[in-house]
Formats: sequence, C-alpha cells, structure tokens
Amino acid sequence: MSNSILEGAAAAGPAAAATTVMSMQQALNRALDEVLAENPKAVIFGEDCGRLGGVFRITDGLQAKHGEQRVFDTPLAESGILGMSVGLAMAGFHPIPEVQFDGFAYPAINQIVCQIARMNYRSRGTMPMPITLRVPSFGGIRAPEHHGESLEALFAHVPGLKVVSPSNPHEAYHLLKYAATRPDPVIFMEPKSRYWQKGDVDLAHCDADGGTPTGAKVMREGRHLTLVAWGAMVARCLQVAELAAEDGIDVEVLDLRWLKPIDAEALAASVRKTRRAVVVHEAPLTSGLGAEVAQLITQSCFDTLKAPVERVTGFDVPYPSGDLEDEYIPNIDRILFGIQRVLEYKRG
Amino acid sequence: MAEISFPLPDLGEGLIEATVLEWLVAPGDQVERNQPLVEVETTKSAVELPSPQAGKVVRIHGGPGDKINVGEPLIVFEVPDNTAGIVGTVPKEEAPKRRVRLSAVLDED
Repeated sequence: MSNSILEGAAAAGPAAAATTVMSMQQALNRALDEVLAENPKAVIFGEDCGRLGGVFRITDGLQAKHGEQRVFDTPLAESGILGMSVGLAMAGFHPIPEVQFDGFAYPAINQIVCQIARMNYRSRGTMPMPITLRVPSFGGIRAPEHHGESLEALFAHVPGLKVVSPSNPHEAYHLLKYAATRPDPVIFMEPKSRYWQKGDVDLAHCDADGGTPTGAKVMREGRHLTLVAWGAMVARCLQVAELAAEDGIDVEVLDLRWLKPIDAEALAASVRKTRRAVVVHEAPLTSGLGAEVAQLITQSCFDTLKAPVERVTGFDVPYPSGDLEDEYIPNIDRILFGIQRVLEYKRG
Repeated sequence: MAEISFPLPDLGEGLIEATVLEWLVAPGDQVERNQPLVEVETTKSAVELPSPQAGKVVRIHGGPGDKINVGEPLIVFEVPDNTAGIVGTVPKEEAPKRRVRLSAVLDED
C-alpha cells in the first residue's frame, strides 16, 4: 500500500513542529490518525476506506497502522454503512463512516434522517449518536453525475444533525478532530476540489487568539462589504476580495464553517460593521442556505443595511456534468457582479 | 506513481474490434484529458479516440494494422499516487481572472 499522502506530513507524534505545510488530504488523514490513537472506541469504515485508503486517500495507511478492526471496507451499500453506524453508536462506539461521494448519500438518507438524527431525542438522551459522517462534497473536479453535489441545506434542515465544512487544510484538521469528539452526529462536508491545495497547519492552535473550532471565522477583514461563504467558495471569495481591493472596495470574508448551527452572532458582528453582504454557495439558489444566511443578517442588521443581501449561487438545475461545471459554480465575475449590485443599490 | 490501463471502449453498434490506423501519442508523452490518442478503423468508420484522462503514456498496444478487441488493453497511463483511482481530475491552481470591474461611490456615514 502506498503511504504517499503521508509523506511530508509528519505522522502523529508529539515531536512534530507546531506549524507544518499540508494538503487538506494530509490534514484530514492526520486528524483521523490522531482520533484513532486517542479514542479506542473510534472506528472508520466505508467503501474503499480500508485496504485502498479511500478514493481520495484520506484514510491512506490507517488500516495498516490501526488494524482491520478499526479501519475497514464495507460493501457498496450506503444505507448499510449508516445503519451499521447507528448500531455501533448504540453499542458505545464512535463511528466515523465515509460516504464516498456526496451523491451517494441519497441512498442513506433514511438512516441519516430517521435514525441517526433522532435516536438521541427518541431515547430521551439515553442513546446519543456520536457519529461523524465524512462526505466528500461539492463540485470542481470534473466528475460525472452523482459525484458533485451540495447537500448542506438538506442536512441542515434536519433537526438533530450538525453540519460543518472546512475551507482549508488548517480548518480541516481542527474541525474534523473537534467533530469526532462531539456527542452528536456531525455531517462533515469535505470540499473535494480543495483536497490537493497545500496550506499552513498549526496543529496546536485552531485560532491564533485561542478560539475553538466552533462558529464562523473571519478569514479576511474588510470595511465595505461582507462575503459569506463555506467550503471551496471561501478560497474563491478571498481571491475576489483581493480583486475588489484593486477597485477600492474593502471586502471582509467570513467563513461560516458550521452550517448547522449557523453562527448568527458572527454574521451580525461582521455586517453591522460593513453594512453590506453577499452570500456565495455552490448549491442551487432556491431554498439554499443563502436564504437562511440572508434572513439572519436581515434580522440582526435590518436598520443599518445599505442594500438587500445578495445571493450568488449555483442555478436551479441538477448538478451539471464536468464540462459545464465552470458555467454552474459561482465564478469570480459572478461574485463581483453580486458585489456590484449591492454597491449600486439605491433606496427607493 | 500508479499505472492505469485504458481498454478499447465499446465503439457502438455491436462492433467487437477495431484496427489501429495511427497512434497520435507515444510512450513518454504527457497527454491531457480529451486529447486524441489514436485513430482506429472499424467496419463502420475511422474514429479518433480521445483520452479519458490526463497522464503520462507508459505503453501503447498494437501498431498500425493490428486488430484490438473491445475490452483489451489499448494504452497505459502513469499518474501520481494521489490521483490514481479517483473519479474526476485534480483542479489546477490558476491565477484569478476577471472581466468585471467594481465602481461605487461609498458614503462613509
């Protein structure tokens, strides 16, 4: 078996330097390695997760290191993967299942919505479901149908589930380690188009100011407008912010990180300052999470908003094939147009 | 590095084999997805087969005039380990491109 993705990223150990450069693949792999080492009840499983190390190599080397009882392959049966997670959680384990691609979560929806999300409620708190479901998510890798979807609104709508999406390797490491220690089920949406990009990871600190991996995070400060995004769209919004600065517009980028619960206080704090907001997501417009974000901002900042909150999103169509992805996913110009619409809004 | 073999695909209409006319790539070449690999002739027509993926050509099977059955190896690519076996392609990091310029008079009240 290849350990290629572990090369260059120090394997779990106390001697590792505080900051290291990793891809998101390596950061997630490292987080899972540490979770397995720290929690004897943690188990990882899914299609190709064991021997192969996952199609995206996120579980690479973990079966060899932690054994076939801790990291193992499952049949191609997502409902079974999640149903087994329910049973394991009832028996005191901390399952970390993987659904290989977001589009394969649909066959498991019954287990996720009707069992995982409700078991703790149904049992009056006697059967918590400490399940972290990893879902390689969103588009951007030219994949065929069912391999690029944006399911966050679907999951966020279900009471009992928490939903989170990291935007870079540092966030991926800390958010996954945090999610895997929660007593509640967490849908962990990994932006697959960002798996290979490298970035600095501070293993010891999630935030320089001692913050925890909860709530939203300001990734770039600005005065004139807040771009709200998550997952792969955060990197694109940071690019847009640099371009907007060339035109004299100072853009703040807020990485929402947690999509359920949404950090309404962070939204309010940012937009009270900037008085303008654009929310960006890959998912279709209608009933997307952008509507929820826009409402939360309107609720807290109605009196001071300079313009209605704009949404720049995917279109209300099935997720297109790879060759049409660039037309579907919000690009730099579409985000800039959204900003321009807010900037030129006149009351009246 | 890992090797991925691409067999002669089903060219449709019940065809079970094709004859190599001309290879458009050679071992050692770096090819892009959809780049024409080889021209083959069936009993229906001559067609160029596009590459199903990016990668470095390791081996090609059959020279001009040779028949290859559908499903038999046609070409073998070498790809980095971290892309082997995945569906889709690793996105390229590109410098941001823009056409839209922002204009606004900001009242800083």
